Amino acid sequence: MSTTALSSSSTGSTGQPPPRRKAPRRPKPAPGTQRISPLRVIGLTVVWLFTAFNLLVLYWLIMAAFKTPLEIFREPLSLPATLFERGTPFRNFVYAWESAEFGTAFLNTVILVAVCSVVIVLVSAPAAYALSRLGVRGSGPMTAFIAIGMGVPFQTVIIPLFIAMSEIDLNNNLFGLALIYVALSLPFTVFLLTGFFRSLPDELEEAASIDGASATRTFWSIMLPLARGGLITALILNAIGLWNETLLAIVFLQENANFTLARALFTFYNAASYQSEYGGLLAGVAIIVLPMLVMYILLARRIITGLTLGAGK
Amino acid sequence: MATVSFRGATRYYAGNDKPAVDGLDLEVADGEFLVLVGPSGCGKSTTLRMLAGLEGVDDGQIWIGDKNVTDMEPRARDIAMVFQNYALYPHMTVHENIAFHLKIAKMPKDQRDARVQEAAKLLDLEPYLDRKPAKLSGGQRQRVAMGRAIVRQPQVFCMDEPLSNLDAKLRVQTRTQIASLQRRLGTTTIYVTHDQVEAMTMGDRVAVMRDGLLQQCDTPVGLFAKPRNVFVAGFIGSPAMNLIPARLSDAGVALGGATIPLTPAQKAAVTGTEVIVGIRPEGWDTVAASEGLPVTIEAVEELGSDQYLYGSSEAEVVAAGEDVEHREAPHPIVIRTPGMSDWSRGQQLGVRPRTGAVHLFDKETGNRLPDA
Repeated sequence: MSTTALSSSSTGSTGQPPPRRKAPRRPKPAPGTQRISPLRVIGLTVVWLFTAFNLLVLYWLIMAAFKTPLEIFREPLSLPATLFERGTPFRNFVYAWESAEFGTAFLNTVILVAVCSVVIVLVSAPAAYALSRLGVRGSGPMTAFIAIGMGVPFQTVIIPLFIAMSEIDLNNNLFGLALIYVALSLPFTVFLLTGFFRSLPDELEEAASIDGASATRTFWSIMLPLARGGLITALILNAIGLWNETLLAIVFLQENANFTLARALFTFYNAASYQSEYGGLLAGVAIIVLPMLVMYILLARRIITGLTLGAGK
Repeated sequence: MATVSFRGATRYYAGNDKPAVDGLDLEVADGEFLVLVGPSGCGKSTTLRMLAGLEGVDDGQIWIGDKNVTDMEPRARDIAMVFQNYALYPHMTVHENIAFHLKIAKMPKDQRDARVQEAAKLLDLEPYLDRKPAKLSGGQRQRVAMGRAIVRQPQVFCMDEPLSNLDAKLRVQTRTQIASLQRRLGTTTIYVTHDQVEAMTMGDRVAVMRDGLLQQCDTPVGLFAKPRNVFVAGFIGSPAMNLIPARLSDAGVALGGATIPLTPAQKAAVTGTEVIVGIRPEGWDTVAASEGLPVTIEAVEELGSDQYLYGSSEAEVVAAGEDVEHREAPHPIVIRTPGMSDWSRGQQLGVRPRTGAVHLFDKETGNRLPDA
């Protein structure tokens, strides 16, 4: 054994450079994992068809937002030309923004969605922490009770909600709508976060309690930073849901000044289709869809699953 | 610095009528390094967690110094704990991890930094203070966990198998580092492990537990030389002591043609008709197969400095006079011989217990028979 070790080290030192080794571009997969099974073929086909369809729709939407109605119907898949030739490529966007009061609606929506998402997470996180980790008496049934809230379709409570909000003069009021948004989003968010908090290691809490941290301090300085991935997930999911929310906005907002984007688009749809302004209409849709798409692409990376890495071992 | 005292401490777990720790009485002296050792589920970790305040105490009391801490919160007890998986805060740097307690205790920043530096220097952690735990090796994380404990200068260190996640070589190094660090700091330490080598090499005293009951608490030498019962005898020492049941006759205990005489006190203490003869692997003299207890070698373990022969012998059962139907399977017998000896599988040899190397236990109770 010692002789082989000696000889191999001596070849290394006698000048001949060891042959350059290069890792294969794709490491060889484990045996058997690359077998073509019917399930795999069907799965791959479905996934790719679904992806292709979504990409196509997105492409069509963005292209159509830069086209004249004639182009939209005649050459649905071609690149836009006419508006660019005229030198007013953003004409549809300008039209939508100005004639549908998208400016106010955009601001309303951004503020409403931002405030609501943050409030939802701010209320849900301590609730979920208490339910999942403090060993509160009856926390199991309470969690189940909150989960029931997810099973009630909100459409069924719209009429009682409308009456209640009218009684307290919060109808046609963005604050009132915000209250409804927060209330209706809590069950899902609390439920999501209880699962997340439950998966965090016990030792960190114990270490914190031995280090002298109070329950509040443990929550703020240890558990909340560790649950960051879950909090961001909850934030993104709520933001997307609320950004796109239409029905409640239609029911509870009546005045143009209070409209959210989805609500404004609904009004705009009637006007634009009457005037055959399909390019403007689709530009309006793009204004609603694209910010969420961008946000998702930016923030999805921050759902860091490996955050608790390094706590143990 | 303080003493620690368990006074009848008992802990039940929900749905189990058998306590996990049963009426534990244990006094730990100021500055002592006490190791709790035992097989899985023996209650050693529960004992430590009760001391740390992470488990309730169902019955009895726990005292640290002259304070009854039985119902005190962990943070009021002035203890530090090193967890098995270290439980470092992953979102904080090494510096923040070590300083977390001092920060909560509202120590001024310059003092705090000085203390952290001091601890980091002691543990060779200075280059890593700005790193997060995920960027450290296992050994470095272990040292951060130690740093977090020593920076507090607590009354008591609690350590829950702090070395079990390290590889074998690092474990041996760290073992001696922790032991010498503890001697230098002089802080009372309770150390939990399932590894009897760790227990024997680190502790001033070792407490052996089994099924929630304290079996024996003594110095490593005391445990090794005079195990109080069959369990301790078999648990302490590696390879384990040979425990051979043998029938008692008027002359004493017959083993492999030789008779071990019993003192009157020992005879009086035996409750049944059988005793268990305990002989450590190094307690045998090897002789020709015709003399002594004949053993057939089944495996040879060569360690270089020592050699262990694993063999079996039916002779002692025959000597005990049992009929063939009731005969137990051949007892594996372990014999230590000098390293590089010329033994091989299948060979026969005779062994004879060395004088003074025999431990006698009552078979019924498992307790050690009086030595004189």
